[in-house]
Amino acid sequence: MTAASTIKTWYLVHKWTSLVCTIFLLIICLTGLPLVFHHEIEHWLDDAKPLSQVPAGTPPANLDTLVANARAMYPNEVVDYLFFDPDEPQVFVGMAKTPGDGQASGHAIRMDARTGDVLLDGPLYTEDKFSFMGVMLALHVDLFAGLAGELFLGFMGLLFCVAIVSGVVLYGPFMKKLEFGTVRAARSTRLKWLDLHNLLGIVTLVWALVVGITGVINELSTPLFRLWQSTELPRVLEPYKGQPIPTQLASAQLAADTARKAMPGNEVSFISFPGNAFGSPQHFIAWMRGDSPLTSKLNTPVLVDGRTGDLTTVARMPWYLTALEVSRPLHFGDYGGMPLKIIWALLDLVTIVVLVSGLYLWLARRRATEARINELIKKHQAAAAPQRTPA
Amino acid sequence: MTPTPGKRGRGFLFVWGAPIVLGVLSIFGLLAALLGTGAWHWASWTTLSLLLVVIVRYWAFPPKR
Repeated sequence: MTAASTIKTWYLVHKWTSLVCTIFLLIICLTGLPLVFHHEIEHWLDDAKPLSQVPAGTPPANLDTLVANARAMYPNEVVDYLFFDPDEPQVFVGMAKTPGDGQASGHAIRMDARTGDVLLDGPLYTEDKFSFMGVMLALHVDLFAGLAGELFLGFMGLLFCVAIVSGVVLYGPFMKKLEFGTVRAARSTRLKWLDLHNLLGIVTLVWALVVGITGVINELSTPLFRLWQSTELPRVLEPYKGQPIPTQLASAQLAADTARKAMPGNEVSFISFPGNAFGSPQHFIAWMRGDSPLTSKLNTPVLVDGRTGDLTTVARMPWYLTALEVSRPLHFGDYGGMPLKIIWALLDLVTIVVLVSGLYLWLARRRATEARINELIKKHQAAAAPQRTPA
Repeated sequence: MTPTPGKRGRGFLFVWGAPIVLGVLSIFGLLAALLGTGAWHWASWTTLSLLLVVIVRYWAFPPKR
């Protein structure tokens, strides 16, 4: 291929991948802005009771107390999971009508981790989807279409990544004779925005590519968990063949203690109860996080027998779940305090400018092409006109 | 970001020098906060902010040529 036709090919790749994904990427970038600050916004919007004032060093409450509190509030439901907030001493007790029914009938009760006091009796997830942050999340993640929406937006994210790579390839020939950062503002609006599109795109390149790729990986979390369940669990579940999901469960506190003993130095970040849709039908799965900055983002699943509370096994973490776990902070930008969140939001705004300027450049080019064609037609008509006039 | 003249005047680094520096800074900034705390967070905030500084510098205050 000649250099000219190579450039033409990359230009077509850049144009079409961008055109297809731009509108969805715009939605994703706009909804991403409040989502970067979801922790702060939710704090501000929800009417939860504040955490209790307790002396420093007060030990956490027994998990069985939390479970019993939740069961007392909803006697006809089961506990689906416990989620331990890594930033604040609070626990989310997930409830569902029946084991595994979390997505349809699930809701969470937020409790103080030290006292077991109920801070917020949260709405059903199905209702929460229509709260402000719920709508932002749905537009960002699945367009209210569940797994199909996740895969669709994941594919749009993939196109975005291809658009970035092809954009970098085009950057070379465009900038061959221009100093880095040149913005030719005086000549035409189109030229100015072409230069800005190139400048903003190349400066945010690595950040946008990282957030794009990790976004795609996050969209694959449902199939990745299903894959893990179907490859890792059958081996562990063999001895339980034919047994129903247990109804008389071992103590949740015992399950957590068993998991801590299996992984010294680790803390529990999440416990799925037997029957949880992303867990095991026979086990508590305690996801244990490490205590270093990086390992605190990486969870290891410890399987604890649902009836006895004995250790079954420390499950292997396949590479794709490790990739998923590393992808979360790198996509959310929530791993470096408030300054990092602000930087994330600003780079998100820059990405919006890149998207909109790209769309403008395409429209302006079309307009220029159409104007040129109209001009040609007029010339043609003008040339033909005298012949049609009878003498 | 001064252009580095290549063998025939304007070479590879003239186009790619600045983008490579910014890319390395971005990777460093993204990883610093993930792998460390304290000073590493500051290092992350500083390097990633440089991207925004570069944008403001060339967009709002274009250098006179």
